[in-house]
Amino acid sequence: MPPAKGAAASSLKHVNKKLSSSRSTFRQQVHLGVLIAWIGLIAFGTVIIWSASLTNPEASFSRHLLGIGLGACAAIVMWNLNLSNLANLSSVLMAVDIVLIFLPFVPGLSVTAKGMTGWIKIPLIGLNFQPVELVKIVTIFYMSALGAQYHGSIDSVKEYLKLCGMLAVPFICVIIQGDLGSSLVIFVSGAIIIMMSGARKEWVLATLAIIIGLVSLILATDSIVDGIVGDGNSLIQDYQMNRLLVFLDPEADTSRAGYNLQQSLIAVGSGGFFGKGLGNATQSAAGFLPESHTDFVFALLSETFGFAGAFVLLALFALLMFSTIRVAIKCDSLFYKLVCVGFVGMWLFQIFENIGMCIGLMPITGIPLPFISFGSSSMIVQCLVIGIIQSIWRRHAAQ
Amino acid sequence: MSAQLLVVIAGLILVAAIVGSLIFMRGYSGRFTFDTKNGTRPRAAEGEGNTQGLAYKGRFTLLSAGVAAMFTTLLVKLWSMQMVSSDHYDELAVQNQTRTVTTSAPRGRILDRNGNELVRNRASLAVTAYRDLREDTVLVRHIANVLGMPYIAVMRNIQDNTEGAQARHTIATDVRRSTVAYIQEHAGEFSGVYIEDRTEREYPYGTLACHVLGYTGTVTQEQLQTQQELIDSGEDSASSIVYQSGDIVGQAGVESQYENLLQGIRGEQTVTVDSVGNVTGQVGEVPPRPGTDIKLTLDLTIQRACEEGLAYAINISQQAGYANARNGACVCMDCTNGEILGLASAPVFDPSAFVGGISSDLWSELNSEESGNPLLNRVVSGQYMSASTIKPFSAFAGLEYGIYPATRTTTCTGWWTGNGEAYGKWCWNHSGHGTLNLQGGITWSCDPVFYDMGKDFYYDKDNPEGLQEMFRRWGLGSKTGVDLPAEASGRVPDAAWKNEHFSDYSAEDRAWNPGDMTNIVIGQGDILVTPLQMATAYAGIAMGGLEQTPHILLSAVSRDGSGDAYLYNETGSKERLTASINSDDDLSLVKAGLRGVIYEESPSCAAHFNNLSVKVEGKSGTGERSNEDPYAWFIVYAPADDPKYVIACLLEEGGFGASTAMYATRQVLGVIYNEPDNVPVTTTDQTR
Repeated sequence: MPPAKGAAASSLKHVNKKLSSSRSTFRQQVHLGVLIAWIGLIAFGTVIIWSASLTNPEASFSRHLLGIGLGACAAIVMWNLNLSNLANLSSVLMAVDIVLIFLPFVPGLSVTAKGMTGWIKIPLIGLNFQPVELVKIVTIFYMSALGAQYHGSIDSVKEYLKLCGMLAVPFICVIIQGDLGSSLVIFVSGAIIIMMSGARKEWVLATLAIIIGLVSLILATDSIVDGIVGDGNSLIQDYQMNRLLVFLDPEADTSRAGYNLQQSLIAVGSGGFFGKGLGNATQSAAGFLPESHTDFVFALLSETFGFAGAFVLLALFALLMFSTIRVAIKCDSLFYKLVCVGFVGMWLFQIFENIGMCIGLMPITGIPLPFISFGSSSMIVQCLVIGIIQSIWRRHAAQ
Repeated sequence: MSAQLLVVIAGLILVAAIVGSLIFMRGYSGRFTFDTKNGTRPRAAEGEGNTQGLAYKGRFTLLSAGVAAMFTTLLVKLWSMQMVSSDHYDELAVQNQTRTVTTSAPRGRILDRNGNELVRNRASLAVTAYRDLREDTVLVRHIANVLGMPYIAVMRNIQDNTEGAQARHTIATDVRRSTVAYIQEHAGEFSGVYIEDRTEREYPYGTLACHVLGYTGTVTQEQLQTQQELIDSGEDSASSIVYQSGDIVGQAGVESQYENLLQGIRGEQTVTVDSVGNVTGQVGEVPPRPGTDIKLTLDLTIQRACEEGLAYAINISQQAGYANARNGACVCMDCTNGEILGLASAPVFDPSAFVGGISSDLWSELNSEESGNPLLNRVVSGQYMSASTIKPFSAFAGLEYGIYPATRTTTCTGWWTGNGEAYGKWCWNHSGHGTLNLQGGITWSCDPVFYDMGKDFYYDKDNPEGLQEMFRRWGLGSKTGVDLPAEASGRVPDAAWKNEHFSDYSAEDRAWNPGDMTNIVIGQGDILVTPLQMATAYAGIAMGGLEQTPHILLSAVSRDGSGDAYLYNETGSKERLTASINSDDDLSLVKAGLRGVIYEESPSCAAHFNNLSVKVEGKSGTGERSNEDPYAWFIVYAPADDPKYVIACLLEEGGFGASTAMYATRQVLGVIYNEPDNVPVTTTDQTR
């Protein structure tokens, strides 16, 4: 892949020039928008997790701080690391990806929590880690490496399908592993990378049609098979179907699947403009709101700080995402452009899905809210992403 | 699964739309750039370095637009939830955290006219706990030991949800005071265990006045439904009592009749709960409001006399050989105002059997024919042929319509052939009474006198149904309006009724015959009356034609106990009807006849009343039904010159009125005037 090599070489030169420059300032080393958004989000999340820890023994405040500490270290390491060589290692990255996906099934490492085999116990340290968080990043990297080969325009259907196939591998693997939410994150960020790599509009639309058609077909077959077999569990797990049905009609069944959604809606809605204040969030304190420190943390935040708090949070996310897009635009390397775009795609889906499910816009899946949700795996990996973006800004920004 | 199908259909429509748009846009080989400025640039120009950035500008605009769209969507939805519908969700959040549980209110007591407690509430100490105590098995075991109950039973009671999930669940009732004291002293060990003062119905006099008092029971599904329908239709909006499943309500007698007064208003406790439903605190409490105490017109002494008199008379009947004599009724009323002073019906039941729920075995026994339907209040619900006790009213009819004026006489030979020899009828006295006028006819209860009257009514052109009209004028055939449930209205038969009632029969069989008239004129045949109707009608005779509506409620006691909050007599005129007697002569003729019944007709009867200081007037009756022993009636009022009390007694299959039922009325009079009967019982008197 000579063109990619060339791009990497030229950007290296560029960085060296920039680093040696006497005009090198702090703002050239660190993108301020990303930094401010990151610190703001971490601070906001810390306050929320602290308030959750008052009533919920599962939300350990010290563990949250530990996650932030490890994340900050990871970010600083990444900031100092030049990852350009990764652009040429797409096959290796894909292999790493698949290993990571199936790591939780390795006996001795596997940890099962909340009915899902998605964690591994890291030897020596003893911390539990969710490799799928890292899979998201690795997938973004190798999709970007592949996409960068085409210099902004994919000319043949064969090449387009090849890209789609490469994305389908981790996507299907994560589905098999049992994490539908993360697989959708991977799918959305990968798909945005493919589109930004210069895929033809007709191909993208045709792919979309095929996917929707397939999903419809699976749903239809499921209901037919259910009708014949009658166990309601044939193709799609019952709980997944229930979540979907409850999303379509939240009031349908408030006792089981609809209960979580209903309680979340009440928490968000009852927050009003300024919220109930720190420690007064009755929905989570009395235990009505489930998973108030992880998947439904946005509901807790909205109940505590109201519309004002939610607005600040969304503003911070917007600052982060638009700053990242800015970094991508300013970036002189196609590979890093696509990496940044992949990150934006990842956040786009995670934020929309997580907040959307709290307010009834999206079906319920178990996706953490970046930088806010309790959970070290997500926190470390998200901080890592910040480090990568800062590293890209430091080395590849065309000033 | 309809939602699932909806998703499938929506998906297919979307696919069709995309495919359609692809076909429509065929030939336009646009890249996914949306780059209008640089779209026509030759691809070769998209080279290295910054030019690449320019080429990507359109794609980044699209990406930025997507991000902006996402934030806008989220903000719009958040605005609508947190700013527009915030109040709605606020309400839901509060509803989430609080539950209202109710505390029952004691029912009002039922007193006699002098304030004696006929029904009161017994304090019952109950040990209760919230449902979440079930998780503390050690404590549950401890409670079981202290209460002396099996662990399983305690656990079952704690988990039982019939009182509502958030209410305290009853573990045990009627707990010994020493046990309660132990629990209260060791409150620390028994956290989450509560002692509650409960009340239960208690009947200090056992079965006394059971038919008046009635009984209580859990509100039935039908009653709840009826209430719901009333609320739905808006008719019952004024009623402040709203029943819940499990409430104790009056099911018979006064308990049912004055349910609105007796029922208390339950208290409400608002408690906060967590997501699992465990109670975490108490927010507010509205204390329960006890029901109103009510005073009945019953006089404990007279009530007891009625019951004992009835039992005494039944006993005499059985001694006289009427083995089936078990059931009967006896009622004592104040003629001047309609107050029922005593009301007895046999057999009796024990209302305390209904406290805490009656067993189904006992219930079916109480409703069986073999046990004589003890739940039936025979005074108001029992319908019997009146027999000769109706003769005074027949006499009024004969006098008023000129059918049988005071001067007319009939010669009784014991066999009456007024309707022809083929339809000959016996007088009860087969040897005949000789020649009698109407007054004598009443005194001697001579049937031929009234046969003549009945026959002449039948053939009278102007008033062929004057007899029935007079009966109705005295209130027969219609309810008296007493404030007790399930009153029967009796029956005054006439031609129209017979035609209707026997509609399956031939016209000939349905025709109104002279024989029908001669039957009802002496109270036989198809006529039906209740003991209370007869008592009310005789009270009317005693009062010169003015009947008072019989009633059982005297007053509702004001809440602070200082007096009566509500008096029955103040709530409007209770005059039932005035049987407008045309002339005082008619009245005095009948009354003289009734006095003769007591003092002239039979020496054995007279002997029992001669030892009373007051004069008594009255009438006996003996109803005849095929295959059964005679039904015995005796009705009196006293004092004859200034009437106050009317007493009516009926014995089913009790024999002859004057020799059996008479003793019940005499015993009641004996108690009222404290002049017990000291004349030996003679059961040979067969006068009717």
